[in-house]
Amino acid sequence: MSIEASLVQALDGGRGADAADRLCEACVALLSVDAAAISLVFDGVNSATLGGSSDEARLFDELQFTFGEGPCLESVATRAPVLALDLGAEVVAGRWPAYGPALLDQGIAGVFAIPVLIAGEYVGALDLFRRQVVALDGQDLSGALVAAELAEMPLLDLIAATEQDPLEPGTPAWTELDKITRDEVSQATGMLVAQLDVDPAQALVRLRAHAYATNRSVTAVARDVLDRRLRLGAG
Amino acid sequence: MADDAREARVLGAVVTLVDNLLQDFDVVELLTDLTEQCANLLDVSSAGLLLADARGGLHLMAATSDRTEEIELLQLQADEGPCLDCYATAQPVSIADLSVVGGRWPRFVPAAREAGFASVHAVPMTAAGSALGALGLFGTRPGALNESDLLVARSLAHVASVAIVQGHPPTPETVLPRLRAALASHVVVEQAKGFLRERLDVTVTEAFALLRRYAREHDTHASEVARRLMSEPAARPLIVEAIVRLTAAV
Repeated sequence: MSIEASLVQALDGGRGADAADRLCEACVALLSVDAAAISLVFDGVNSATLGGSSDEARLFDELQFTFGEGPCLESVATRAPVLALDLGAEVVAGRWPAYGPALLDQGIAGVFAIPVLIAGEYVGALDLFRRQVVALDGQDLSGALVAAELAEMPLLDLIAATEQDPLEPGTPAWTELDKITRDEVSQATGMLVAQLDVDPAQALVRLRAHAYATNRSVTAVARDVLDRRLRLGAG
Repeated sequence: MADDAREARVLGAVVTLVDNLLQDFDVVELLTDLTEQCANLLDVSSAGLLLADARGGLHLMAATSDRTEEIELLQLQADEGPCLDCYATAQPVSIADLSVVGGRWPRFVPAAREAGFASVHAVPMTAAGSALGALGLFGTRPGALNESDLLVARSLAHVASVAIVQGHPPTPETVLPRLRAALASHVVVEQAKGFLRERLDVTVTEAFALLRRYAREHDTHASEVARRLMSEPAARPLIVEAIVRLTAAV
């Protein structure tokens, strides 16, 4: 079976966020990449991780949210694939000054992002991560393009779910959103609003700044805030 | 047949169907397109589609040949057949050789064979776990549908199901604001849980329960209460006070 057909098969029977995870797992199994994630980008912000091949892949995606930069955000902003075969060289050249080193620290040597479109609109990207600096062969590239195209299907499921239900807790659509959004980050943001008497946007900036400064993921910092292991000072 | 070339065409069909349904969306046209793509791409001679109405009654929506139309209608009249079973169970039903299953559908099987069919494969159209209808694939030779053909049929049926459930094509104007609003609304509810966790010193689970209870007693939605809590600082004291009274009343 061709790579393309195998990718189609990975989606078979699945729906929504689960299908997105299967698609990412299939990318890792079929293409020469070590991790894959599909992220949704709204208003220039990495809003949710629709699917990931592993927790690690979700972390690599989330780091873009922490630092507010990265190949996925860039591919949506420029409406084009972003291929950084040698991340180390890109970082030396000044690209992604925060995200790049953080990803190198995680042992990632190359990263690619391919835009995901719905109805002609750029809504996210398929991110592929590699631990070795190696050339991308034609088969990998065409497979990645097909996978990014297929990512439209789980996304359509999600859209259909949000169309069907009222946007309220307890509905199937809400459960889907639980899977793909960073709930701990939002909860910790709410705690900071109460603690620091700032608005939610400022609270989120504080959370991200702390993650940035301590070189951790926002989710890890958010967990500490939620468990009251960490208290961010005012000002 | 060159497998790779066929797979490329199949993939092209999936993409084309998605593209088409994003443009001039019409359920009948979409389903007609779906059956035609199946008849062209798959190792079957024709395809037909039964779609359920709101009460679960099935209707013939599309068929690629007159014989197919007749045999689909016969299933509805006789109230039996692989497509009906497929719809009832929301599972594929595959009959590789109609000549050996006569007892299963005493009226459908003789009629189908009379019409020249030797095999039939029914693929469910489903959304959110419930069946919307059945895609019937009819062959003039006996034989199982190979796995990749079945896969293609299911993928195409899936895309069509999503479009039908929405009732309109996903366009940037209709889809993105909704998805964006859904994500934003979700984020705000999570923030409100954290806010109440801090103010009331409860767990996020307890905070959520209180938020929902407050919303119920005030005849509003949890997402609306959360929105007010997070975006209207002036409204916070009253809401928090009322929620404290809820906890005291327990």
